[in-house]
Amino acid sequence: MLSDNAMSVIKQFRCFLRALLVRPWHAVTVCESFLVVRRTRGKSWQRAIQWLAVLMGLGVACGFSALQAAHPEIPGAPQRGPIALIGATVHPVSGPPIENGVVLFDSGKIVQVGSDVEIPPEAERIELPNRHIYPGLFDAYSQLGLVEIDAIRATRDTTETGALNPNVRAQVAVNPDSELIPVTRSNGVLLGLVAPTGGRISGQSAVMQWDGWTYEEMTLKAPAGLHIDWPRVPPVLGRDTATATNPLAELEELFRRAKAYRDARRAGWPLVDARLEALLPVLEGSVPIMVMADDGQQIQSAVGFRDRHQLRMVLFGGYDAPLCAELLRERNIPVVVTGIYRLPLRRDDPYDAPYTLPERLRRAGLRFCIAGVERFGASNVRNLPYHAATAAAYGLPRDEALRAITLYPAQIFEVADRVGSLEPGKDATLIVTTGDVLETPTHVVLAFIQGRRVELNDRHKRLYRKYRAKYEEQP
Amino acid sequence: MKTVHHDRKRIAAPLMILVGPLLIAGQLMVSHTELAAQSSLRPPEGLRDKPVPRVALVNLRLVVAPGQVIEKGTLLINGRYIEAVGADVPVPADATRIDMNGKTAYPGLIDAYSEAAFSWNNDQGAPYWNAEIRPQLSVASLYQTDAATDEARRRQGITVRLLAPQGGIFKGRSALVTTAGHAADRAILKPDVALHVRLTIPFGRPDRSYPNSPMGAVALARQAMYDARWYELASQHRGFSGDQAPETNDALNALLPYLHQEGLVVIDAPNELFCLRAAKFAAEFQLRYLLRGSGNEYRRLEAIRALGVPILVPIDFPSPPNVTTPEAALSTTLEQMLHWDLAPENPARLVAAGVPIALTTDGLRSLKDFWSAVRKAVRRGLDADEALRALTLRPAELFGVSDRLGTLAAGKYAHLVIADGDLFKSDAKVLETWIDGERFRFDTPPPIDPRGRWLVRAKSQRKLDGSLWAISGTLERLAGEIRLPAAAEGENETVVKLDRVGMQDERLGATFPAAAFGYDGTARLSVLLEQAADKPARWTGFVEWPDGSRTPVEAQRQEAAAETPAQPAQDTTKSEAPQRALFEVNYPLGAYGHREPPEQPERLLFTGATIWTCGPEGILKNASLLIGEGRILAVGRHIPVPPGAVVIDLQGKHITPGIIDCHSHMATDGGVNESGQAVTAEVRIEDFLDCDDISIYRQLAGGVTAANILHGSANPIGGQNQVIKLRWGALPEELKFREAPPGIKFALGENVKRSNSPTPSTRYPQSRMGVEQIIRDTFQAAREYRQKWQQWLQNPAGPPPRRDLELDAIAEVLEGKRWVHCHSYRQDEIVAFLRVLEDFQVTVGTLQHILEGYKVADVLARHGATASAFADWWAYKFEVYDAIPYNGALMHRAGVVVSFNSDDRELARHLNHEAAKAIKYGGVSPEEALKFVTLNPARQLRIDQWVGSLEPGKHADFVIWSGPPLSTLSRCEQTWIDGRKYFDREEDRLMQQEVQRMRNALIQKILQSGETPRSESGTPRDDSHLWPRDDEFCAFHADE
Repeated sequence: MLSDNAMSVIKQFRCFLRALLVRPWHAVTVCESFLVVRRTRGKSWQRAIQWLAVLMGLGVACGFSALQAAHPEIPGAPQRGPIALIGATVHPVSGPPIENGVVLFDSGKIVQVGSDVEIPPEAERIELPNRHIYPGLFDAYSQLGLVEIDAIRATRDTTETGALNPNVRAQVAVNPDSELIPVTRSNGVLLGLVAPTGGRISGQSAVMQWDGWTYEEMTLKAPAGLHIDWPRVPPVLGRDTATATNPLAELEELFRRAKAYRDARRAGWPLVDARLEALLPVLEGSVPIMVMADDGQQIQSAVGFRDRHQLRMVLFGGYDAPLCAELLRERNIPVVVTGIYRLPLRRDDPYDAPYTLPERLRRAGLRFCIAGVERFGASNVRNLPYHAATAAAYGLPRDEALRAITLYPAQIFEVADRVGSLEPGKDATLIVTTGDVLETPTHVVLAFIQGRRVELNDRHKRLYRKYRAKYEEQP
Repeated sequence: MKTVHHDRKRIAAPLMILVGPLLIAGQLMVSHTELAAQSSLRPPEGLRDKPVPRVALVNLRLVVAPGQVIEKGTLLINGRYIEAVGADVPVPADATRIDMNGKTAYPGLIDAYSEAAFSWNNDQGAPYWNAEIRPQLSVASLYQTDAATDEARRRQGITVRLLAPQGGIFKGRSALVTTAGHAADRAILKPDVALHVRLTIPFGRPDRSYPNSPMGAVALARQAMYDARWYELASQHRGFSGDQAPETNDALNALLPYLHQEGLVVIDAPNELFCLRAAKFAAEFQLRYLLRGSGNEYRRLEAIRALGVPILVPIDFPSPPNVTTPEAALSTTLEQMLHWDLAPENPARLVAAGVPIALTTDGLRSLKDFWSAVRKAVRRGLDADEALRALTLRPAELFGVSDRLGTLAAGKYAHLVIADGDLFKSDAKVLETWIDGERFRFDTPPPIDPRGRWLVRAKSQRKLDGSLWAISGTLERLAGEIRLPAAAEGENETVVKLDRVGMQDERLGATFPAAAFGYDGTARLSVLLEQAADKPARWTGFVEWPDGSRTPVEAQRQEAAAETPAQPAQDTTKSEAPQRALFEVNYPLGAYGHREPPEQPERLLFTGATIWTCGPEGILKNASLLIGEGRILAVGRHIPVPPGAVVIDLQGKHITPGIIDCHSHMATDGGVNESGQAVTAEVRIEDFLDCDDISIYRQLAGGVTAANILHGSANPIGGQNQVIKLRWGALPEELKFREAPPGIKFALGENVKRSNSPTPSTRYPQSRMGVEQIIRDTFQAAREYRQKWQQWLQNPAGPPPRRDLELDAIAEVLEGKRWVHCHSYRQDEIVAFLRVLEDFQVTVGTLQHILEGYKVADVLARHGATASAFADWWAYKFEVYDAIPYNGALMHRAGVVVSFNSDDRELARHLNHEAAKAIKYGGVSPEEALKFVTLNPARQLRIDQWVGSLEPGKHADFVIWSGPPLSTLSRCEQTWIDGRKYFDREEDRLMQQEVQRMRNALIQKILQSGETPRSESGTPRDDSHLWPRDDEFCAFHADE
C-alpha cells in the first residue's frame, strides 16, 4: 500500500507527464510545481521521480519555448475532479484570513473553505505551505482585449466613431488571443470590466474572465453597464449665461427619443432603432449607466440626470465624490476609483489626494472599488494590486484594499454571486501566491478560473527565457 | 541705471567706418528726427494758415515734474515749444491768454509700450534665413496713423507712445510717436528707439517650422547674434578668398549697433522668470536693455531687483477668478487668487525695491481703464509722484528724449495734460491734452447747462401752459419730465416723462407722449436757449403735435440743477481704507510655496533607522546618519553624537539616498520638443527651467531629489538636457545640479521617423536607415567643423569660421565633454547607433528606454553603455511589443549599469515601486534593485561622486520612509536635499490647512470686492503654462 503522500506524488507525476505532452512549454507551471515538490515530504525515490519530472519539464520547455509563435497559451481544460489546495493562508476576503487552510473546489465551484475541511479521497491534493490563496483579482475598468498596440490603429477596437454609441458592446471585440491577456493573468488579475471609450456614450461594458477559447466563454456578464463620459458643465454663477449652451442637450435629446421609442414600441411600432433599442434596458433600470466624471459639478449634474430619468448609476473616476458624499450615499451610487496612480486634478490639491481617495470614500460611507487604470488602457492592468496597495499605504485598511480589487467590484457589477470572494458556491476563480499579493515581489504560482487551471506563461516570460538562454550559452 | 543716448549721428559714425557701404539704411534713419522737427515740407495748398504762435495758460496749478508743484502759475507756449513756465511769468502782449483757474497741468504722459502688427515679407531685400529674425523692420518706415487709438490715448492725457512691432523673435525697431493723429512726418518723434526681442514663440502657432518651441526661439536668437558678430568680422575681410566670406544680410547688418551697446534693446518678459532669462541673454551679448514686464515681477522681486534693469510695467491688473460657487472656486488656484490680490501692488513694490519703472497701457482691455488702473496702483502703495515719474520723466529718460519731453520746462515740447484736479489721487478728469503745442479739448460742455426746472408758458395750449419741465441727468445723457398742475381741486398733478432729451450748442430737443394733451402719438419740442447776464435762462420755440400742429412755447428757468460740473474731484485715496494684500509672497507663489528656503542645520544626527546606503556598507540596521553643512558626514552603527548636534530618533524608519529620475520632462516650460528640424543640438532645456512647476513638489513627496530633464524624442539629435535638484522654491538657475556634466538628447526609431504622426511626414529621416545616416553625417560635420576651427586658431588669417551652436554641441560630444542620452528601443537601432558612436570614438552616456536592451545586453556591456529603462511599460507602440519587465534584470546581470526612470510626472512619484519590479521580474536583490533609482542613475548621469549613495562627503540628499523603501505599503515621509528638508509629510499637512485658510480668506475678499470675474479674451501675455511638460512625441497615436 502506498501512503496518501506517495499516491499524491504519483498523481502529480502523471499530471506532469500529461501536461508535458500536451503543453511542453509549460515551464512556469513546472517551476511552480518544483516549489510544491520541494516541500512535499516523502521518501527519496519519490523525490527522485519528482525531480526527474521537473527536469524533463524544464528541458522540454526550454527546447520548445523559442519556437513558439504568438499567443501559445492554451485555455484551461474544464475541471475533471475535486481539487484541494492545502496548507496555505487562505484569504476569503469575505472573512478573516485562515492560517493553514484548505480550499476545496469541484466542477468549477468552491465546495468548502476553512481550516478543517474534509477532503474527498479522489481529490487532487495540492500542498501549498507558505503560500497564500486569494480570490482572482478583479480589475474594474480597462480596455484589455480591445487594444493590442496603442499606437497602431489597426489593433485598436476601443472606440466607435460618433458621439452616441449606446448599442456597441465591448465583449464582441475582445481578442482572446491578445498577448496582453496572459501577461495580465500572470500577476493574478483574472477578472475585469472591459469598457469602450470615446464619444459621449461610449457603449456597453462587459465583465470578462481572462481565460477561454472565445469571447463568449470569457464573458461573465454582459452588458455590465452603459458608459457615459459626462460632459463638463459650467458653474452655476459667474459665467456668461447668454452664450452658454447646454452641454447635456445631446444626452437629454437621446433619452427623450428613447422614451418616446419605448412607448411607441409598446404600442406596436414595428421598426427597430439600434441605438434606442439599446437604451431600453437602461430606462428599465436593468442596466446601470456608468458615468465617467471626476469634477464635482459633473457628478452633481449626472446624479440629477439619473434622478430625472430614474436610472441606476455607477460613478467612475469620482475624484470629487467625497464632496458629493450625501448625494451618492442617499442613492447608493457606488464609485469605481479609476486608478490610484494618478495626479491630483488641481494645482492646490494635496499631493496624495488620489492616494487617499478610497479611504475618504470609505469614511464617507460610500461603496467603492479600485481599478488599475494606467495611461495605455490595457498593457499594465497587471499592476492592479499596487494601486490598491498604495491606497493602503495612505490610509485605507489593508483588508479593505484587498476587497477593493476582489469583492467590491464583484458587488458593484453584480457578479458577487459568482466571484469576488472564496465562499462555497462561488466560482473557483482564485490565485495562489508566494506572499502578500499587494507587495511587488510576490509571485502568482497557480491560478484557476471556474476550476480550470490557467496557464501562467506569457509573452514576457517566453522572451525572458529566450534571451536568458542567449547569455547562458555565451561563455 | 544706464543713461540712454539718443544721438543717432554719434552711433552711426564708427559704424560708417566699420561697414560703411552697408549702412545706407542707417543714414536714412538719421534724417527722421530732423524731419519731424520741421513743419511739413508739403507746399501749401491755397492760402497759408498763420496761427498766433504764443499761448499763455494762466492761473494754473503746475506739476512741472514729479514732486515739483507751482500752485498758481503761468505756462507760456510758443508754437511747438514751452517758452516759459513759472509763478511769475509775464504774459506777452501778443499771447492768447487762457484762464485755467482751478485746473492742474502735468507734463504730457508717455505710454512706454504699445504695439501693432506690421506685415512683414521676409523675401524683401537680403533677409535672415529665418523670418523670426527681422531687426531690419522699422516701425518708423511703416507707420500709419490710427486715429481711433490716438484719440483714445489723448483722452487719457497720453501725448506720446512707444510703438513696437508685434510678432517675431527679433521683432524689429520701435518708434516714439505722438498721439496727435498726424501722419508719420509729424507723428514720429524718434525712430528706432529700441530693438524688440521676444525670447519665445506663441503657443499653438499653426506654423510648425523652426523654431516651434520656446527653447528653439532662444537658440535661434543666440545664433543670430553670433551670426551678426561673425558677419561684422567677416565683412572686414571682404575679398578674402575662401568659403567664409559673408553674404549681404540686412538683418545681421541691423543688429550691429546693438552688439556695440549703441542701440537699446527691449526684451519681453511675459512672466517674472523671463526677466531672468532676458538678463542671461543680454549678458551673453552685453546688450544695453530694458525689460517689457508682465506685472508679475513682485513674485521674484529680489532676483529682479538684483538685475538692475529698468522695466516697462503694465497695469492691466487682473479681474478676480470666479469663486461665486464652491464648485467654481475648486477650479481656481490659490496662485490666481493671490495674484488678484497682489498684482495691484506690483508697481509700488518695484519702486520700493529701487527698480526704475515706466508704466504702460500694455494689455489694458480698454484705454478708458487707464486712470482707474493708475489710481489703483497709487491706492495700493505707489507714491503719486513716482507714478507721475513712471509716466513722464522716466520713459523720457529711458528712450533718450528727456531733453524734449518728460517735464514742463522751457525749451521742451509743449506736451501737457490739463485736469480738473489731482489725477493720481482723485477721480479728476482729463480736460485737455496739448501735443506739440496743439490743443485737444475734451471738456466741451454745451454753452448753457439746460438742467433745472423750467416754467413753460404756452398761450394756445391750456394744459401745457404753466407746466413745470424738469431737465436732469448728466450732460452726456439728459433726461426729464413734465409736471402738469392739477386741473381741479383734489386731483393729482400729472407727470409726463420725456422719452428723449438732447442738446446741441444752444438747441434743445425732446420727445414725449402726447396723450395727456389729448393727442394720440408723440409730441416733439424744439427750442433755443439763451442765457443773458444776470437774468434767468430762458428758452423759446414750439411743440409740434402728432397732427402736425404747433404750439409756440417759451420758458424761464426757475432754478438751476446743482452745479455738478464744478463739483470738486473726489479724493480716491481717502474714500477707501488703505488696502494691502492679505498675504505675503511665497515661493513659488501659491499653494505649498515656502516663505523662506528650508534651513540647513549645522549638525544633524538621525539614529535608529535602517539605512540603505547603496554604497559599500550595504544595508545597515539600527544605524545613524550624520549630516552637516549640506553634506553627509558619517553613516554607521556607532556614531557618537557630536557636540551641538540635533538628534532625531528614527526607530522603525528607513533611510535611502534620494531618488534620481534619469528621464524627466517636468520643470520646463520650453516646450520639451523642438521638432522644427531633424537636428537641434543648439536647443537647451536650461533656458526654460520652470522652478514653479508643482510637479517638483509632488515628486519630492515621492522621494525624488534629482532629475534629468531631457529634450523630447522628436528628432534624431534633439536638445541639450539639464540635470536638476528638486530645490522647490528656488530660482531656475538654482535648480541646476551644478556639478553635473552637460548632455544632449538623441532619439531613434518610430518617434523620429514620425511613424505614428497623424499627418504624413516627409522630413528626413523616414527609416531607421536614415536615422543612422543623419547621426553619422552630423558627427562628420562636427568633426570637420572642429578641424576648421583648429586650423584657423593655428593660423588666424582671414575671418574666423562662423560659430555654429548646433555643431558646437556635437563637437563637445566628440571631445567627450557632453554625454549623449539616446532614446532607443529596438535592438537593431541600438547596435547600429553604438557602432556610429564607436566610429567616432564616443561612449554613450545613457541609452534611454532601451526596452530591447535585454536582447543585446552583451553589446551594451562591451561598449560601456548604461541603460535607463521603464520597469514594465510595453505594447503602447510597435517598437515596444517585445518590451519585457525582465529587461532590467537581464541587462543588470550582463554587467550593464541599469536604472528605472519615469518619463512621466505621475510615475516619478513612486519610482521606489518601479524599482521593486526588478526584484519581481528577474530576481534582482532588494539592495541592488534600490540602486536602480539611486546610485545607478547617478552613475549614468556622472554625478555619483556627489549623490546616489549615503557615503561621507556626498551631498546630504536622502529620503526617510515609513517602512521598507521598496514596499508598496511604505510612504515617503521626508525628503532632504543638500541637508535641507524640502518635504515633510507632517509639514505638508499643516500646509494643506494653511492653503485652505488662505483660500477661504481670499474668496471672501473677492466676494466682497464687488469686482466681477471676466473671462480672458485675446492672446494672453504669458502662455508658458500651455507648453507640454511631457514628450508628446513619445506615445501619441494617429487619432489624437
